[in-house]
Amino acid sequence: MKIDVHCHVAKRANRASRGWTNADLIEAADKLGIDKLLCSTPVSRGQPTMKMVRECNDITYEAMKEYPDRILGYAFVNPGYFTEAIEEVERCINELGMIGIKLYNQYRADEPVVLPLIRKAAEMQVPVLWHAGHPPSPEEALRWGQPRISDGVHIAALARKVPDAILINGHIGGGGDWEWSIKALKNVPNVYVDTSGSVVDEGIVEMCVKYLGAERVLFGTDLSMEAGVGKILGADLTDEQRELIFWKNIDGILRRRKV
Amino acid sequence: MIIDASTYIGHWPFRRLRHNTAEGLISLMDRNGIDKAVVSSINAVFYKNCQEGNEELAEEIEPYRDRLIPFATLNPKYVAWREDLERCVEDLGMRGLRLYPVYHKYGLLERESSELLREAARMRLPVELPVTLVDPRQHHWLDVDTGLPLNQVLEAANRYRENVFIILNAKTVSPIIERKGAAAPPRNVYVEMSRLSAVLNKSIQAVISRLGVERVVFGTGMPFHYAKPALLKMEILDIKEEEKEAIYWKNMAELLGLQGG
Repeated sequence: MKIDVHCHVAKRANRASRGWTNADLIEAADKLGIDKLLCSTPVSRGQPTMKMVRECNDITYEAMKEYPDRILGYAFVNPGYFTEAIEEVERCINELGMIGIKLYNQYRADEPVVLPLIRKAAEMQVPVLWHAGHPPSPEEALRWGQPRISDGVHIAALARKVPDAILINGHIGGGGDWEWSIKALKNVPNVYVDTSGSVVDEGIVEMCVKYLGAERVLFGTDLSMEAGVGKILGADLTDEQRELIFWKNIDGILRRRKV
Repeated sequence: MIIDASTYIGHWPFRRLRHNTAEGLISLMDRNGIDKAVVSSINAVFYKNCQEGNEELAEEIEPYRDRLIPFATLNPKYVAWREDLERCVEDLGMRGLRLYPVYHKYGLLERESSELLREAARMRLPVELPVTLVDPRQHHWLDVDTGLPLNQVLEAANRYRENVFIILNAKTVSPIIERKGAAAPPRNVYVEMSRLSAVLNKSIQAVISRLGVERVVFGTGMPFHYAKPALLKMEILDIKEEEKEAIYWKNMAELLGLQGG
């Protein structure tokens, strides 16, 4: 069993907006033995309006309806909309059946603006997957177009403020200094990391397990499908640890939901 | 049979590598069912005098000559590279070159390069070009922060038709696959597939379609990278078995002049 905790759907259902369709995504998952894909449709630049956010979530929902046994959805929101963002989360989770929240780089995890939303997530006990990475320098973060990208330090700070929130530091293999974020998250038990991203550095998964314990490591791809599966299969892990990472940890997280 | 076109041994200054000795690399190859591997010295990238790294490499792989195929790291802007090249080939049994224009601060189209490439062609040595060693998004503050531009490689391949260029560790291959209407990339360019994909954007298939299956080779990037992602890509790649064989080993064996692999 494999559950991909960090994935995305095609921007428009059945249209090759990224050069592939949701059918291609499912075909890839089949080839790699991935049973379920936890997907979102975030806006990766700028400050999206509520209208844009709702459109994104509707795209995710269309994919969920298209493949109800395979695709689960995260509600993407812009925390800057406070009450409206929380209402959108409630719509997505209570009405559309989504399983968690996806946040991108509109605000950093240690900014006070995100607190009402994270407290709501904690109340609902749904996971919050945060687009994360530690760039080599603030200048490079700017060059990436992501001056407010969060790293392990920022997510740890938030986790300490809301200790009953379930936070996921996204794509530890997504570029950026992964050793930095893993070390920053060592003593923050309510933060998980997902191993997605194109980076397949030997030892990355083992360091996650060494610092966080296998119970806080989640398998993901972020569309780097073979890299995602391959690094878990290639890492020095026990069979039990691999099972935890591939699906048992996220299965346990999803069972905690109060919705 | 599997031949890995892209492995290394030695010390990487910016992160602790595991399995980065000849013995460690052999253990990774055994674990992943890889029979032979092209290997070069990481130390040689950072020594001003690369040749000392080549000497270390030759010494360390001596017990594993049947499986490890050494490539020389040379800097055409450093003194006495001609003597070093001759020593690497004649005395140390090196079968090709691995060049790092970004680390050694030169261009493939500069005069120094042309002399080294002419010698490589004369000696029938394939030239491997790692586009990057680590993902630039996580580079150390003392490390280079860009990769080798593929357009420069294509231009060099056009100019130096007698050389064979093997591109290693490329994650995007747009200049190769998206030159619609343009002439096909020169026939002396090969691509190692470890960072490309067999699903979704299917960049491996796109390279095969553009260059032909005979110009794609298998690689892993060990011990920088896990081998399993590259092996998985080959496993699920939707091409004929004989085409997979070509990528797994036959293409590289031909370039290296290996009898029956």
